Parts: sequence; C-alpha cells; structure tokens
Amino acid sequence: MPVIKFKFNKYKLLELFAPVAGFIASIIVLLIIVIAVGESPGKSLVAIYKFSLSSSAKVATILSMSIPLFFAGIAVAFAFQSGVFNIGVEGQYYFGGLVGAMAGIYLHLPAFIHIPVVVLFSMLGGALWALIPAILKVTKNVHEVITTIMFNSIALAFVNYLVNGPLSGLGKGKSLEPQTAKIQSTALFGKLNGAFRFLGWNVPDYVYLDYSLIVAIIIGFLVWFVLFRMRYGFEIRAVGTSLDVSKYAGIKVKRVQLAAFILSGALGGLIGLQEIFAIRGYYTYSIASGLGFDGIAIALIGKNSPLGVVFAAVLFAFLKQAGYGLQFYTAVPNSVIYVITGLMILFIVVINEVVAAYIRALRKKEAV
Amino acid sequence: MSETLLSMRKITKRFPGVLANDEISFDLFKGEIHALVGENGAGKTTLMKILYGLYSPDSGEIYIKGKRITIKNPKEAINGGIGMVHQHFMLVPPFTVLENIIIGEETKKFGLLDESLPAEKIKALMEKNGLIVDLNSRVEDVPVGLQQRVEILKILYRGAEILVFDEPTAVLTPQEVEDLFKTFRQLISQGKGIVFISHKLDEVLEIADRITVIRKGRVIKTLNRDEATKSLIAELMVGKPVLLEVSRPDVKEGPAVLEVKYLSLQDYRKVNILTDVSFTVHAGEIYGIAGVEGNGQTELVEVIAEAAPILHGDILLNGESITNWDVRQRREAGISHIPEDRHRYGLLLPFSLAENLTLGMHHKEPFVNRFQIINKNKIREHAKAVIEKFDIRTPSELTTALALSGGNQQKVIVARELSTEPKLLLAAQPTRGVDIGATEFIHNQLMIAKKEGRAVLLVSADLDEVMSLSDRIGVMFKGRIIKEFEREKTTKEEIGFYMMGEKEHAGN
Repeated sequence: MPVIKFKFNKYKLLELFAPVAGFIASIIVLLIIVIAVGESPGKSLVAIYKFSLSSSAKVATILSMSIPLFFAGIAVAFAFQSGVFNIGVEGQYYFGGLVGAMAGIYLHLPAFIHIPVVVLFSMLGGALWALIPAILKVTKNVHEVITTIMFNSIALAFVNYLVNGPLSGLGKGKSLEPQTAKIQSTALFGKLNGAFRFLGWNVPDYVYLDYSLIVAIIIGFLVWFVLFRMRYGFEIRAVGTSLDVSKYAGIKVKRVQLAAFILSGALGGLIGLQEIFAIRGYYTYSIASGLGFDGIAIALIGKNSPLGVVFAAVLFAFLKQAGYGLQFYTAVPNSVIYVITGLMILFIVVINEVVAAYIRALRKKEAV
Repeated sequence: MSETLLSMRKITKRFPGVLANDEISFDLFKGEIHALVGENGAGKTTLMKILYGLYSPDSGEIYIKGKRITIKNPKEAINGGIGMVHQHFMLVPPFTVLENIIIGEETKKFGLLDESLPAEKIKALMEKNGLIVDLNSRVEDVPVGLQQRVEILKILYRGAEILVFDEPTAVLTPQEVEDLFKTFRQLISQGKGIVFISHKLDEVLEIADRITVIRKGRVIKTLNRDEATKSLIAELMVGKPVLLEVSRPDVKEGPAVLEVKYLSLQDYRKVNILTDVSFTVHAGEIYGIAGVEGNGQTELVEVIAEAAPILHGDILLNGESITNWDVRQRREAGISHIPEDRHRYGLLLPFSLAENLTLGMHHKEPFVNRFQIINKNKIREHAKAVIEKFDIRTPSELTTALALSGGNQQKVIVARELSTEPKLLLAAQPTRGVDIGATEFIHNQLMIAKKEGRAVLLVSADLDEVMSLSDRIGVMFKGRIIKEFEREKTTKEEIGFYMMGEKEHAGN
C-alpha cells in the first residue's frame, strides 16, 4: 500500500521539521535582538561559531557539557512519561550527588567495583529524595509540583548544612569554600580523551569526556529498553497517556506512578557524576545549579523520548556555548544572552507544539 | 401538496479531504414532518448546521417560502423562522423555565427585566400546543422530557415555523416519545413544518410524512411514508441489505456466573446511588437493564468492573466473592467490559491498534515473556487475527487508534473485550453513537457471546435494544431494580411505566 507509506513519511518529515524550524526561528530572533542592542549580527554569528563548531575542541566541549544535561532531561522525561511532573530533579541531584560522594569517600573498594558503586549510590540518593513526594502523591494526592519544589529548597539547605558541618572535609581555619573530604582515587572517573584521540578525534586534555559519558550511554539505552520494550514501560506510557484507560485496563496506576517517580529521582541523582567524580573530586554545595530545571526544558524539547533527549541536551549545550561566545566576543550584555537562550527554547517548544497540533489535525481529517 | 416552507437547493460543503454535502437538495412543506436519516457521518448534521447558519455552504441556495436568503449565523436563522432542538439541550440548569425561554430575547421595561409580558405570551403558547410546564421551576429540577418541552417552547417563542429536531427521542422513555409525537402533530396542524432526524426507524415510520435518506453526503432517495419499509430505509442508508432482526440462538442457560447481592453504594455526599440491588446472570444468558439514564446503571456496571468502596452487599463471580478484588484480578477471572464512555476509558489514542488490542492482557504471556520483555511479534499476530475476525477497517495493525474512524474505534473495543473469551461481558450502552452497520455487528457479537455460553450484562438507554437482545430484563429506578421481567412476558409499554417509577410501589 504505497499511499499509506507516503502519508506515514509525511508525518515523520513534519515531525523532524519542527525542531529545525524552531531552531531557525530562534536564530532569527537572536539576530533581531542583537541588532536591537546595537551589535553587528555578522559579528555575533561569528562569535557563536567560534565558540561552538570552530574546532574539535569546541565540539568536544559541547558534548562534555551535554552529559549532565542529558541526565537531567532523561530524569524529567521518565517521570513525564507516566504523567508525573517531577520538578524536583534539582534537589534529587544535590542529594544524590552527596550520597554518591559519601560512597566515594568512605567506602574502600577496588576501582572496578568502586565506580559502579558510586554510580548506584548516586541513584539511590536521588531516589530517596524523590521518595517522600512520590509517596505523598500516590497516597494523599498532594501535587508533586508543590512538594518537589519544597524539597528542592530543603535539599539545598540540607547539603549546605552537611557540607559546612558534620561532613566538612576542611580542617579548622581553612578559607576554601566549604567542601567534603577528597573522594578516593578508586572512585574517581578517568577520561576517555585518549581513546577518542586514538579513534582519530582530537580532543584536548582540558575537555572532560569521562566515564560519565559511558554511564550516560548505558542509561540512555536502558531507559529506552524499559520504556519501549518492557511491560513496565508500556504501563508507564499508558498511565501517562490516560489515567482512566489505564485503570480500566487493570493497570495499578498508583504503583506505576510511584515507581516512575522514584526511578526519575534515581536518574536525577546521576546529574552530578561528571562534576563530582571527574572534575572536582570532592562534593560541595556550590556544584552547578539549575541543571534540574534545564532538564524540564530538555525533556519538553526531546518529547520525552531518550533519543529526543540526547538531541535536546546537545542543543542546550550548544546554546550555552553560544551564550559564552556572545559574552566573550561581542558587546551583547550578559542578561540579554539569558533572554536570548530563553527565547530560543521557547521558540523551539512552541513550534514543536504547533506542528504536533497540525499533525493531529491532519490525522483526524484523514480518519473521517 | 401545499406551500413549500423551506427549500435547500444543491447544497455542497467540502471539508479538507471530505465532501460532507454533495449537491444535497431538501425541502419541507407546510404541515409536514420530513425525516432525515442516514448513518453517522453521512452529512445530516452538516446540512442542518448550514441551515442554522453555523457553517456556510460552498455552493447551493436556501429558499424560505420561495424567497432566497443567506444565513450567516444562528441569529439570522432564527429571524428567518428556523428553530432547532439540539440533541444536547441548550438550557441553563439553575435558571427557571421562564428565564430559559426568554434568554437572549428579554423584554425590558425602564431598563429592567420584565417577565410578566413574556409570561403571558408563553402561557398562550403552552395552551395552544399542549406543552405544559411550570414556568417558575428551575430547569435542573425538571425531568428530561419536560426540559425538551422547554426547548420547544423556546423556539416557538422566537416564532419558528421550521422546527428541526436532532435525535429528540434518544433521551426519552416510550411514554415521553408518545407525548412528543402528539406535540409534533399539534404543531403541524398549525401549519408548521418539522425536520426530524433520528436513528430509530420505527419512530421515523410512525411519524414522518416523507423520509429522505442521505449516504456519504448525497441524497439517495426521498420516500413517501406509504412506500417506505424499515428494511428498505436501512438498505438505502447502508448501501447493502441489512439484517434488522437479531436472530436469537436457542441456548440452554447454564449456572449462575454473576450474582449481585443486596449491593448498596453511596456517592461522596453519602447519597445512595444503588440500594439493595440484587440479580443473577447465568451462562448463556443476556440480562438487560432498562431504565432512564442516571438511575444508577453507570455506577452498577462500574462497581462490577472495578473495585469501589461499597456500602454493603456482595458481588460473586462463579460463586466466589470478587467484591474486594482489583481490576486486574477481575479481568483475569474472566470479566470483560465495554465501557459506556469509550472516549474516556476505551483506547490509548496515540498507541497503535496492536497495543490497544492487547490492553488489559498486555502483562500476560504470550505478549510478554517471563522477563517482562514485550514480544512485538506476538502482539502483532494477535492484532492481525482480531482485525480479521472482527472486520476492523484499518490500513494496518500499526496504525494509531487516533487515525481510525469513530465506528472502527468502537469495533476495536468490542473486539478486544470479546477476544479475551470472557466468562462475563459487561456491555454498557454498546451501540451508543454507532451507525446501523456497526450496531448490527455489535448485536451479532453479543448473540455469539451468548451462544458460546458467556454471561452478558447489557445496559442500554435504548429500550428497543434491551427488549430485542435480553432474556431477562431488570428495570432500574432511583438506584433500585424495581422489577424484573422475562422478555416474553412483558411489553415495551409496561417496562416504560416502571422506568418512570410509576409502579415503584406497585411491584414486588
């Protein structure tokens, strides 16, 4: 049936077209803003290019930056798939990172065990931080947006206290920023740069392409497999599509949402891997903030699919780099750069939604 | 015959991809009831929406009393003497009957609302047409049959001469239908014209002077009453001969499958929805529940299909109490459920047909292996077999449910629920919103289920359906089964009386 095949392709093409169109539109908006603040558009584009695609080092930097963003996106997307709006990835990441770091500091294990163990402990910590909001949601119907936002604040204050107090690794009188003791060398993530160079990709030493990239690839595959090849994933997606239909079909809706929520927290616990175990080698409350929230936008742009999240995370990393480029080479004020990145995200999301609605309408018409 | 009230000439309306109306011509004489019949999607509603100014036609002309007019919006339609009683009433429930009738046409005196003048006018209308309603009661306190009277009064108050009724009998009891038809006759005797849209061919034959059949956007034929028969109309509607009477297999009743004992249920306000409901459905038996909608039927089916906190009572399946079981346990024990609100409960629209056809069994082998990994091939094979067996029209089993037509979506649900080979089938309003062809299909499937020795609980607001399919019939009124009949030993009228609760205390 060639006709049907053609239609199928038409939708696929449209779906692919959406993010591209969003991206192009957002670039146009960027140029308009740049002109409005009195900077030359050509100079700005060059600045962006210099900081993003001009060399293999810059491309590798974008890949490196996209690793934590990927974890953030996949954590939010996993919960989204079941209809749970986990805004608390930020807090789950702070707490998960701390628990992982504790395992890295206080457990004594050979490296080939220690590294998987710190990964698992990070997930455990993230899951624990999601546990209470998850239980409150399914048993008492307390909306997760409220509880997880609260838990973000609690997490920040809690790790701040722990790092300054009981878990502080600094001797008295040291003037460094508050931090834990050093993570043992057996738990530190090595770099893959050498391997990439061996494969012919010239990644300089200062770029962090470390073991967390391997974890990301494994996690990405596992999430895809669970969501699309296992019964649990089917039930998660069913619940996210319609609570009523799922209940009617005998799916234990609360149990599914509880599990998805906690697993989402576990995925969120992985966001800090790179910064804690590869870059710093200790834990501090001032690890990069806001990643959990970036995850929401990344999940949205990636349409909650693992592959989509990969692309969205890379796009996000690109936008961040583009922002640095503008900061560095042009007179565009810093605050305007934040506005631009925000607008670009907005454009991509909106155009995505418009195209999705258009496709829905097309399909409906053909169904008549 | 007499003067032509309305004439629609060669009306064409095209929606992207669909020719909804293809040069449809339709006219209405003074003092005539003209029925408009056709399957869902045939174009009746589009035509009437054009008449009422909700759509504008791509081409074609409309004449009222010989004068060509264009109708751009409902206001112009009303001014042209066109009135429409919609299937879903357009009333404001907390307003009084009077307020609902004059809404939008209020008379003012010194800038204040004046209700005395319209009240006089409405009272005259009520007497003239035998449509008596208390003007001061709130619409929400008035039964459905009377709400319809309010709708009719509303359009008469606006001076309508061409009255369009869209499926007016769908919500009425047989007695209320009789009253409505009396009103129809009264109205045409005053020289008004009525367009009557209905799925119920018996009613069409009873009341209509002429019958126009539409199929796929075209007028197939306009028949006079004396040349029309039920099977002829059905054949013209569908385009092929239709079996209207369900052949009832002779099945020996088996043991009790479903036993409901003194079941009571309250809503969150502690108001009783079900009170001491008791009945039994046997293997090979169809037990029909008749009743005006909203008397507890929906909740009864729900409480059998899924766990709900009941007040007291017991539900037994094959002698075992299932009252405290969850949905999955009940499904695994052999309960299938064609839900009443299929848009809400029936399908995961963005999912493929194959996935939808295994929903509810998706967690069992062979659809997953023992590691809970989905076996896509088995799901597709199962889907292909079901699509074939139940004649679901779809390009492939991988098409999303969203892309199917409404009738085929219904079929998917029926097919899925029967493909589990259930012991008990709960069929709630199984043919609501379904056209003749699909209705025939679903009725046959219910009969096959009966023949295969399954127990069927049928709930339907369509009394004809309950009467023609069921072996025994329970009548529900205000959350009770107030009377139970053997099908052969009762009449439609008798059941109708019980449906209105008029024999509430006489029975038993």
